[in-house]
Amino acid sequence: MTGKTRDGKGSFGRVSRRQFVAGASALGVAAGLTPFGSRQAMAAGEVKVLNWQGYGTDEKWALEAFKKATGLDVVHEYYNSESEMITKLQTNPGAYDVIVTNSAWNDRASELGVIQPIDTAQISHFGDLNPAFRDSDLLGADGKVYGVSWVWGITAVAYSTEVFKETPKSLEALWDAKNAKRVSFRDDAIEAVSFAAIATGQDMNHPKDLAKVKEKLLALKPNLAMLWSSEDDWNKQFQAKAFDISIYWSGSALRSKNNFKLPVGFVVPDEGAVGWFDGLAIGKDAPNAEGAHKFIDYMIDPTFYVEWATKVGAPASANNAAMGALPESDDKTLYSDQAAIKRLQFMAPLTDEERQAYSDLWAEVKTEFAK
Amino acid sequence: MKNFADAGIRFYLILVLVFLYLPILVMALLAFNKSPLYALPFEFDLVWFKALAENDRLLKAGLNSVLIALANTVIATSLGTMAAVAFGRYTFRGKTMMQALLFPPIAIPWLVIGTAMLVFFFWIGRAIGYPGIARGLHAILLGHVALSLPYVIFVVGARLNDYPKALEEAAATLGATPWQVFRRISVPILAPGVVAASLFAFAVSFDQFVISYFLAPPGVTTLPVEIYTSIRKGFTPEINAISTIIILVSMGLMLIVARFYRFGGERSGNE
Amino acid sequence: MTPTTRTRWAILGLTGPAYLWLACTIFLPIAAMLALSFLDKSPLVPKPASFTLANYGAFFGKPFYWSLTRWSIELGFWVTLFSFLIGYPAAYALAKRVKGRWREAIFLLIVLPFWSNALVRIFSWTMVLRPNGIIDLGVQSVLPGAPTVDLLFTYPAVIIGLVHSYLPYMILTCYIALQAIDDSLIEAGRSLGANKLTTFRRVVLPLSLPGIISGSALIFVPVIGSFMEPRILGGTKGATLGMNIEEQFTVTANWPLGAALSFILLAIVLVIFGMLYPFLRKQSGAA
Repeated sequence: MTGKTRDGKGSFGRVSRRQFVAGASALGVAAGLTPFGSRQAMAAGEVKVLNWQGYGTDEKWALEAFKKATGLDVVHEYYNSESEMITKLQTNPGAYDVIVTNSAWNDRASELGVIQPIDTAQISHFGDLNPAFRDSDLLGADGKVYGVSWVWGITAVAYSTEVFKETPKSLEALWDAKNAKRVSFRDDAIEAVSFAAIATGQDMNHPKDLAKVKEKLLALKPNLAMLWSSEDDWNKQFQAKAFDISIYWSGSALRSKNNFKLPVGFVVPDEGAVGWFDGLAIGKDAPNAEGAHKFIDYMIDPTFYVEWATKVGAPASANNAAMGALPESDDKTLYSDQAAIKRLQFMAPLTDEERQAYSDLWAEVKTEFAK
Repeated sequence: MKNFADAGIRFYLILVLVFLYLPILVMALLAFNKSPLYALPFEFDLVWFKALAENDRLLKAGLNSVLIALANTVIATSLGTMAAVAFGRYTFRGKTMMQALLFPPIAIPWLVIGTAMLVFFFWIGRAIGYPGIARGLHAILLGHVALSLPYVIFVVGARLNDYPKALEEAAATLGATPWQVFRRISVPILAPGVVAASLFAFAVSFDQFVISYFLAPPGVTTLPVEIYTSIRKGFTPEINAISTIIILVSMGLMLIVARFYRFGGERSGNE
Repeated sequence: MTPTTRTRWAILGLTGPAYLWLACTIFLPIAAMLALSFLDKSPLVPKPASFTLANYGAFFGKPFYWSLTRWSIELGFWVTLFSFLIGYPAAYALAKRVKGRWREAIFLLIVLPFWSNALVRIFSWTMVLRPNGIIDLGVQSVLPGAPTVDLLFTYPAVIIGLVHSYLPYMILTCYIALQAIDDSLIEAGRSLGANKLTTFRRVVLPLSLPGIISGSALIFVPVIGSFMEPRILGGTKGATLGMNIEEQFTVTANWPLGAALSFILLAIVLVIFGMLYPFLRKQSGAA
């Protein structure tokens, strides 16, 4: 019975965006005119959320506060990968109210007709959202808003501050012979290809020279101690000193440092790193669309965000007001470092063919690692 | 000499049990360890049990898992044993084929089967006009029983090479009623296999993630779903705590059963 | 033996419920997956799919699939072998040497570890196998100054984790088979002058073969599709076809390819057991 179930392998950072700063105008107001079905406005006092587990929407204190304010209960269902999220949406029409989609998958969901346009007039904090995310064409289609930008983050390099007395500023540290057997990557094809592309000076979304990417990844072999599969796995192995330097997610790195008191440093290397952002969507035929709008509004509320970020550890909020309300902290320093943000490449949606090519390439490289 | 050999045998069995229980012991110890990250040195703390007591969601998930596993065990063991008896007792055309059909559910990764089931149930539901029928406890149970059946049939079948058909027939000839034959001859023969099979059926269901992950409606959850989807933050030792409680309770129940009921297949008078 | 009408009904009545259940919930969905493996798109993609052999072609066209397949089969072989070597003597001891209440108690104790979550058990193994883990600390306390024992992220770690997960199947199926052997048969063998080894080889082993086969099937078959233990315990050293199949469902959303790879796995299993079948039948028939 073991080994047949999915283990904890997620894909936090697979987010995309053609360009960080899209020149889009504020179309939130126009989208506000979208007709909004009142059919089930009086549906039961429940909001059904589809999300990763432990990712903001299911914090107990938050749900209690939300219930107090609106009288609505929130129930959850979880997914383990974006493609499974799409499958769930397709095979359970009308089952979900709020869905956390990242910008690489929001388009696909709206194309498939499994999410509905959002009435932004009902989202009181919509105007405070960072326009770069809010107006991104990746969260909308045909002039309608299909996703309310929620949080964004960075996938970059985390290292042990005990081992590295100086911040490893270059991505090359991962390939440095000094770090033989001390490096970890996530077992994820797209992340691996992205970082090898950045390290070889290519466009990380559509690297022209895949042979170079492969060569770079193969060169990792003597340095690689393990491949991690989940934040939990990362923390346990880092704590046990299984590796010293690794690709990691910003929100998780802050959690490791602040909550688990691990000696973790996090750096956006000179060569660049990966940026991503997530949105909140409403399911097609949502049983409680009104409640869904309320819940989304609560999720981008600065009060919720500040508590989430300080109590639990969170990615950066897409709400400027929420970031402004955040007390001075590692989080704030990291997410307001404009020079570092400029170095990020935000991931673009990939075609199925690209996804398959990266997956095959990574499988081939892993096969070499295992030899 | 014989005592010496017996001591060796006992020692070997103990070694095997130590191997089997080593990670279970570690799991239990870490439930009492303060560190959320399994860090050593060990610091005794009941913090995870306290957290568990307040974690309604996890407790409910645990209860769901136990109930589903129990229902699954009863159904899968009954149906599976019947099929295994047929295979043991009779030779018939298509038997090898039917036995070979038990391989696909074991060989094909559960993620693939789970996805197939989800889409298939969805199609059926849509075809009959009730798409909602694809999900729920009934669908989970359907899936769990189906995945457990091959295990039950294999395990019960491990004993039926020498199915005492002649013995049954002799008893019947001597005037025993079918019930007496079943009770006095078939049951003792089948007992160890059936008990083992039911234990495995429980285990298959209890750790089955994919089916529940795909077929549970929003808000309904099981223990494996809670564990395998806890990948962002990771699972806390609360999971160790609830697993430890379940193992200890089961162990207590099982030892009581072992005390009062002989199913090991020991033949009275023979040994 | 030709079945009479009555036995026919008995067979139907006994196998019907289980196979009807299997047909509705597993065989039909699997058949749909088989059909899918010959299409170029997932069924939920709103575009017409067309017939293709490309998914099977991908397997034969890419050498890394062969390596993954070979390693998966080797892994299945080693895990089955070690489970047999450890499990069979334990089953024999339990069936023939342990008497009374202990037998039932040990019987139950062997399965109980299974009633826990596999992922939790695997993470517990990492605690046992890593430097400063249980084994390392144990060795250091007996032999101070001994070199660090670091088994984590090695091939043996994968084998240990998998043998642990599957050993109970082998012990109990062998136990069930061995326990059914009448002791008088063994004594008869002895009294006819056969030594212990011959009796074992000629009487005990063939008679317990159904148990060994059941146990091996329940171990070998799932192990070659495993991916959790190889990934977590093997570090970069555990690479299996099961991992790649999983990725076709979670990363690339290429269900047809994932399905095709699964059926290749199934075909390998069936070929292996098909080749063993005549041999096994002869063996157990001779008994």
